[in-house]
Amino acid sequence: MKDNNSYWILKIRKRPFYIWLLRFLWIVWLVFWAEAALGSKAELEPRALVISLIIFLVSLLTGLALWLLGIKRFKK
Amino acid sequence: MKRRDFFKYGLGSAGVAVSGGITGRAGEINYVSQASHFQHPWWVKEIEKPKLGIDDRIYSRFEARKNVFGSMAKYYGIDNLRELSRRSEEKTKKYYQEKRPGYRLEDRALADAAWVISRQGGLNRGTRSWTRNFVTTPEERGVDKYKASPSQAAHLIKTAARYFGAATTGVALLDHRHIHSEERGKKIVFEKADEPYENDTKMVIPKKCKYAIAMTVLMPIDNIACSPTAISSAGSSMGYSRCEFLVAGLAEFIRGLGYTAIPSVNDLGSSVAVAVDAGLGELGRTNRLISPEYGPMVRLCKVLTDLPMTVDKPIDFGLMEFCKVCKRCAEACPSGCISYEDEPSFEIKGEWNNPGHKAWFEDSPKCLAYWEESTSGCSNCIAVCPWTKKDKTVIHEIVKAASAKIPALDAFFNSMDKSFGYGRQKSAEKWWKTNHFEYGIDTAQGKG
Ligand code: SF4
Ligand code: SF4
Repeated sequence: MKDNNSYWILKIRKRPFYIWLLRFLWIVWLVFWAEAALGSKAELEPRALVISLIIFLVSLLTGLALWLLGIKRFKK
Repeated sequence: MKRRDFFKYGLGSAGVAVSGGITGRAGEINYVSQASHFQHPWWVKEIEKPKLGIDDRIYSRFEARKNVFGSMAKYYGIDNLRELSRRSEEKTKKYYQEKRPGYRLEDRALADAAWVISRQGGLNRGTRSWTRNFVTTPEERGVDKYKASPSQAAHLIKTAARYFGAATTGVALLDHRHIHSEERGKKIVFEKADEPYENDTKMVIPKKCKYAIAMTVLMPIDNIACSPTAISSAGSSMGYSRCEFLVAGLAEFIRGLGYTAIPSVNDLGSSVAVAVDAGLGELGRTNRLISPEYGPMVRLCKVLTDLPMTVDKPIDFGLMEFCKVCKRCAEACPSGCISYEDEPSFEIKGEWNNPGHKAWFEDSPKCLAYWEESTSGCSNCIAVCPWTKKDKTVIHEIVKAASAKIPALDAFFNSMDKSFGYGRQKSAEKWWKTNHFEYGIDTAQGKG
């Protein structure tokens, strides 16, 4: 390795096992509802589409908010 | 890989699942793995006898004239029927004037026109002829009739049936009690004969016809979802016309192999009973077949034959338990003819029911009267059933599998299904603006 300017350095914070598990489950949950929303659109089921989309967006935003909160706390 | 295999084996064993389908010595067809084309999803269990049992002391052959179509005047009263018909005519005119979507000239013309192939056949008539129409027999070709093991023959027939339009196909040993004792004023009898025939008094099925091939034909779900309108009627009539083509084609194919074939749709006997025996589904609260793949969104038809085939077993996918807590069809039935009872029973509702088997029996004359009242028939019970799905999202497969394995979740699934808006009536106006598949059906559905 020459100097740090030639590389991106990715730092992964050490976190307990259960946090990684929760993150994995969150991704699976998001994929599941995104698929349900797309499928409902293809099925011409408007209510199922809206509900799936809302669950997806709320889960996405909640997850991101918690993540950002965690980063903020860590930096402090 | 099929979606259902994904669930069963998980990603890790995908390689095993795929390679299992293509193994076999070079040049040799592996019928065992190919048979999986016709298997139900993994969460469907094979059982020895249909779940809703038969009382052998009572169950016997039914006289077709007792069914609601044959004796409506008797069951409903001739004066009531006249009054009903008068009201229906008035309403029809009113709806035309209002240009009410689903009841306009174009909607009704579509519903009528979709019957066109179905009207080419009847009991031993036209496309449903019990004898050869035109196909060349092995004898005429100067070759032996088709010979294969029963499992190969079953595979061959199921492949041909799908080619002619069957969504699912099953084979059962023919229970003679499912066949009407009389129809069209003639007795239907089983005799030792080489070929089926009909004379002035009777219609003869050769005793050698020991096998019944039961088939489902998928109905166009977007049509049925518009129930009760002429657009939904067009869905039913399209289903019947496709049944007609299917049984006519399959019967000729079997004759071309050198065997006897008797094609039938709703005539000749109970397609529902034959389909349950052949493992195509379970009897639901509607007293009709509910298939694990398509729910009630199917029409049924059958072909009787002497071609020896491996028979299929009846199935259990937890439908009876689901129906006990669901009752959506009964709630959506405008005529109130579907039972609200928690448990199925042997108690029939009237002469139109064939006694001796357990079911949720329906008050059929009320149903038929509503068809007239609505001016365009009705399919609400099919449209609202939670097992009616287009299968475009993995969530349906998960719910079906979980319901089959954990009946305690049925009530939860049913209320979720309602909350997600499934089963709500669709706009007949919008139907004309939708980009539909051919025949209104997605033939990839239910094939994994
Ligand atoms: S077709 Fe309509 S009236 Fe007849 S049982 Fe179904 S919902 Fe009831
Ligand atoms: S709507 Fe419900 S109760 Fe009726 S047949 Fe379907 S699952 Fe059974």
